[in-house]
Amino acid sequence: MSNGLKLVLFAAQLLTVASAILVALHPNVLYASVSLLFAFLGVAVMFVYAGADFIAGAQVIVYVGGVTILILFAIMLTQWLYKMNLKDVPAKLGIPVVIVGVGLIPALYKVMRELAAFVEKNPAPDLEKFANLPKTGVIGQALLSNYVLPFEAITILLLGALVGAVWLARPR
Amino acid sequence: MVNLLNWATGLHGYLFIGAVLFVLGTISIVSRKNAIGILLGIELVLNAAGINFVAFSKFRTGSIDGQVVALFIILIAAAEAAVALAIILRLYRLRETIDAGEANLMRN
Amino acid sequence: MNSANFANSLQTWIGIGPLWIWAIVSALAVLFLLALPFGGFATYVERKIAADMQDRVGPNRVGPYGILQFIADAFKMLGKEDFIPLGCDKFLFNLAPVLVVMGACAAFAALPLSKYLIGADVNIGILFILSVTTLIAPGILLGSWSSANKWSLLGGLRAAAQIVSYEIPVALSILPVILISGSLQIGRMVELQGWSWTAEGLKQFHFWNAFHNPFTFISMILLFIGGLAETNRIPFDLPEAESELVSGFNTEFSGMRFGLYALAEFADVFVMCAIVTALYLGGWQIPFLNLDELWVTLPTFLIALIQLTVFLAKTFTLVFVVMWLRWTLPRLRVDQLMGLCWKGLVPIALFNVLGTAAWMWIFKGQSIAQLLYKLVSG
Repeated sequence: MSNGLKLVLFAAQLLTVASAILVALHPNVLYASVSLLFAFLGVAVMFVYAGADFIAGAQVIVYVGGVTILILFAIMLTQWLYKMNLKDVPAKLGIPVVIVGVGLIPALYKVMRELAAFVEKNPAPDLEKFANLPKTGVIGQALLSNYVLPFEAITILLLGALVGAVWLARPR
Repeated sequence: MVNLLNWATGLHGYLFIGAVLFVLGTISIVSRKNAIGILLGIELVLNAAGINFVAFSKFRTGSIDGQVVALFIILIAAAEAAVALAIILRLYRLRETIDAGEANLMRN
Repeated sequence: MNSANFANSLQTWIGIGPLWIWAIVSALAVLFLLALPFGGFATYVERKIAADMQDRVGPNRVGPYGILQFIADAFKMLGKEDFIPLGCDKFLFNLAPVLVVMGACAAFAALPLSKYLIGADVNIGILFILSVTTLIAPGILLGSWSSANKWSLLGGLRAAAQIVSYEIPVALSILPVILISGSLQIGRMVELQGWSWTAEGLKQFHFWNAFHNPFTFISMILLFIGGLAETNRIPFDLPEAESELVSGFNTEFSGMRFGLYALAEFADVFVMCAIVTALYLGGWQIPFLNLDELWVTLPTFLIALIQLTVFLAKTFTLVFVVMWLRWTLPRLRVDQLMGLCWKGLVPIALFNVLGTAAWMWIFKGQSIAQLLYKLVSG
């Protein structure tokens, strides 16, 4: 992969991290939601570089086109339109939480690196070739052979979530 | 600089981003009072898990399992966001506020 | 059968320079020679068509037949005062048109203009276009909220609800074509819609997807209706013409910001019509003619030009139908709109998917054209 392409991926990773910092620390919850939108886009770019083309498309459609709109609707419906009151004061535990969190990052990273080293006992033969395959067909086959039970269970979960959300939000 | 690029675009870079997003999501869950702010943190945490799965699928296992699990994570996160927002709307109708600290009575 | 993408084709024809320069040139060409001029010119064409249907003349002062009207409009918009309403959210007010234009113009990268002129024939082609055009909805929502205007907010909420609801019939209407073509790649979908006068060729090409089986014909109509709703065109333009006095979600946007919204709307109309053309009406294929089977082999440059002309002709015909509908049909009320989507289009779209799957199973994936040929010849 050329250095130019790697630079683009690095820029997307920086965008993701910067947006996530805004999501966590910005007092205005609407700006935090817009930053979350950009974080989702950055994550989609990272998925594309990891050879997960179908997952990237699903990420943008579901998260950007679905979850973000849901969150924006909820903000606009619950923050009483005429008051436009969106300041969200962080709790008294603000600064210590951030310090503890930032200290957690190296610990989490070390744990995942240990896991990566542990998994390397059987390196797969064709990592590069697999990464460049179109994954849609492979995912489809896996969903209907190895993962058919979670697949069907998730359809029932989605049906339940749909009916439940409609019932919970019904007008009085 | 090239070393930084190689680290960031390899497995360790993806894992680091996953760790950072997870921690930032947790900070958002713990320190925000607005219920929707807490939901934003949950979405970040789920995305971090998805990044980890896809990164392992690309750099270690070379099989599709990581990506299938990431797909399931996306679907479950969407369903959970829908239900959470419906609950938040109900809470707003009952209490005129979505401050998470105010929802501390079991009975209306 | 392999489609080259735009940058590769340019490098092959012109021959100099590294590939990444041609990639940038092709991106700029698609953006500045197709997306933006179309967005501008379509405003003029719509006014002329409206005038013709209302038995008047329309713009005819700026240039011959008023053809330079959209350039005059662009200069006018650029010169207007940068008006920001009091109490609005400045950052989101500026960000919203950017998001909408991003969503509309990024889809041009994957449109199959010709076999050799696809910007990026990605493996998830149609999924990429669908996902990128969903960026428009948050843009409209944020713009309407940040205008600090009650009617804008209501218009924006309705527009976002409409776009998100009608994505479902659109996605379900794309499914039959994916079933038939066996791939999400747009280049492959269009290549399969060819024709061949030999029996061997006809085993791999089925004719246009719209005539593959009766269910795909209905799917094409559903996709067209869903595309109308996604771009807020009549009969679904309640968000834009809310009370017919105030302009809905783009009330407070003036000058170039409004120009960006109008440009994004027409670019989105082009993208939707291009999707219908590419998926159902044969894209760049000429009916009953196979450019590889002629008695003389044309150079690829000429083939690309012919195919581009065919594609643009089909797409512009559909855009004309979209504009024609604007002055023909009345506007739907918001509850009629939502009822039409959830109670009408979604069940029909599901029925189409099932019907296409049943047809593929019974007739082993052959289209009506292939079956007729077998009947006639065998």
